[in-house]
Amino acid sequence: MTLFEFFQYLIIALYLMGMIFFIGGTLKNNKIMGKLGNLCAIGGFALHSVDLLLAVTLYKFTIFTDGFFYLSLLGWSFILVYFALWWKVRNTFFALTASPLALLLFISSLATQSLKVQQLPAHLVGLFIGLHIGTIFLSIALMAMAAGAGVAFLYLNNKIKTKANLSSLGKEMPSLNTFDKVNHWTIMVGFPLYTLGLAAGFLWASKTFNKAFSWDPKEVVTIVVWFLFAILFHQRLVAGWRGRKPAILVIIVFLITMISLWGINFFVPTHHSFKV
Amino acid sequence: MDQNIYLIGLNHKSAGVNIRERYALTNIDEFENGLLDMGIREVMALSTCNRVEIVVVCSDEFTENEILTYWADKCCGSKTDLEPNTYCYKNLKAVNHLFRVASSLDSMIVGEPQILGQLKKSYRKAVEAGAARVIINRLLHKSFFVAKRVRTETSIASSAVSISYAAVELAKKIFGELKGQKAMLIGAGEMAELAAIHLLKSGVEKIRITNRTFARAEELAETMNGEAVPFENLYDCLSDTDIIISSTGAPHAVIKAKDMKAVIKKRKSKPMFFIDIAVPRDIDPDVNSLDNVYLYDIDDLKDVVEENMSQREDEAVKASSIVESETLSFGNWLNSLDLQPTIVDLFNRSESVARKELAKTLKRLGNIDDETRNAIETMALSIGKKLVHEPVIFLKRRTEEEGAAEKFIDLARRMFNLDNDTIPSDAHCKRKKSKD
Repeated sequence: MTLFEFFQYLIIALYLMGMIFFIGGTLKNNKIMGKLGNLCAIGGFALHSVDLLLAVTLYKFTIFTDGFFYLSLLGWSFILVYFALWWKVRNTFFALTASPLALLLFISSLATQSLKVQQLPAHLVGLFIGLHIGTIFLSIALMAMAAGAGVAFLYLNNKIKTKANLSSLGKEMPSLNTFDKVNHWTIMVGFPLYTLGLAAGFLWASKTFNKAFSWDPKEVVTIVVWFLFAILFHQRLVAGWRGRKPAILVIIVFLITMISLWGINFFVPTHHSFKV
Repeated sequence: MDQNIYLIGLNHKSAGVNIRERYALTNIDEFENGLLDMGIREVMALSTCNRVEIVVVCSDEFTENEILTYWADKCCGSKTDLEPNTYCYKNLKAVNHLFRVASSLDSMIVGEPQILGQLKKSYRKAVEAGAARVIINRLLHKSFFVAKRVRTETSIASSAVSISYAAVELAKKIFGELKGQKAMLIGAGEMAELAAIHLLKSGVEKIRITNRTFARAEELAETMNGEAVPFENLYDCLSDTDIIISSTGAPHAVIKAKDMKAVIKKRKSKPMFFIDIAVPRDIDPDVNSLDNVYLYDIDDLKDVVEENMSQREDEAVKASSIVESETLSFGNWLNSLDLQPTIVDLFNRSESVARKELAKTLKRLGNIDDETRNAIETMALSIGKKLVHEPVIFLKRRTEEEGAAEKFIDLARRMFNLDNDTIPSDAHCKRKKSKD
């Protein structure tokens, strides 16, 4: 085992321990476990940041042609957004969405080290692709948090509406209002970021391939997601959507994004495809 | 044990309200002082609306009868009236009962926190009166510790067990913090009033009161520091209200689902929580089917309370095992108290033997300087102490075993002849002969 590999296993161990503490802390309503989860997540995130920094330093812009880098960066974004959310609402509940996804993406990034992003001329990558990837990934992480809050909202809303017995989890969950606020905040920040990411992507594509839109499956799905995201943003902001409707819609948006990430990038011919 | 702990008392399970009222202790200081004058070593009395508990530490000469007679006299009653409604526990059973009382396992509503505060108050009084000494001090401190342990290690007090608390808990589940929320009371039922008071205590910003008789609304608004609203303006106010408690005596629904749609639109779908305590119901049940609107009627709230009650009972089983283990640990401490005089006697005996031998040796040595004399004295005394150190440790460990204290203390006292019993000069010879 090289030192680099040991470093990566350490990140996995910290994320895994963090996830166990977060789940245990939520189920048992144990604040100390929540704090330990946060400590593990901070440790894992710090090492993960160093890992990404080393990769960029070592490979320079050619790193953008490596599939593992994307998955690792997306996982990192989940933890980053979780920290922002924790700072805002002071509740570790949202780590239940962030920590398993970050762990899954980081492990996937290690398992897919040989994958390359097809049709990506290394000499052409630069600021725009950095902006495109950075903003899209952050908005996906925000979308995930909104979806997590949405699932929790629907569960608790159903429990209260049907007057069902609130289990120990239901009792210790944040309030419906907190979930709705998280959903609101993540959509308000996530949608502009997603739009910016998309614009940067199209601009980069127009410079690289001399056309902004090429009916690539990934592009089509991304446009669909953008439209749904736009409806959500508009209805939240203008029509005053609250509670159940935005919760359901954001879950749909996030599911399409995940299907797009795992389905299109790995199995469909596209210029976003990951191939050996 | 030459001093025993007795707990004599009555509670809501053993006595009816008329007896509880009659034998409640009004002047606790005087009551405790009276018992101390009778020769009881320590005493602490607790008197609440649901119970009277008298904890005494005394020798076996005192009986339950004497205390009951004194208690009945103090309350101008008769012992024959009082006795069938009381219970009396001795030593570890008394300790166990007190721990259960402090942990609220013996309360009418299991897990209610008030009893601990009342117990602390009674203990403070007993300390101030000089009626609580070594054993009661330790017993009460241990009771507070047990109560805290029960609260931390079980969820015995975590769920609401009254209609008004259940309503507040549900409101918190919907809105999170109640600070800044606005509430409205429709009608002026007693239970609704109680729920409104709980909401106000939990941080609700403003309370409006509406009633068909406006004067009654104004009267109530004054007591709650709220705002009275004419009944005709009910719907106008609803759009600016988050929590509504309704308890009118109206025969038909006061709030209908179809009328609520406009209100929700005006509120931009901000959540609303309706608590309908009226029978027949004031709020159309279909209101609950609207998005972001939550309606609980009296039966729903009763169900929540009952579920919470049964959860508390499950937690009470866990709490009881904590109480049992702490009772045993207190019993060990009590046993160690029995050992104290024997330890003192052992050390005294060792010192007296050492001093006796020291005097003989110093006499034989004649004139010696002070430094040498001190060194020899220190050595002799420390040999004496060290010789009894191991037996003392052995005794401490053995007396921690259940039921072993008396046997081992007796053995030690005989081995070291601490009671100065005369041993017949031929005792060993007789045994030797019988062996032969």
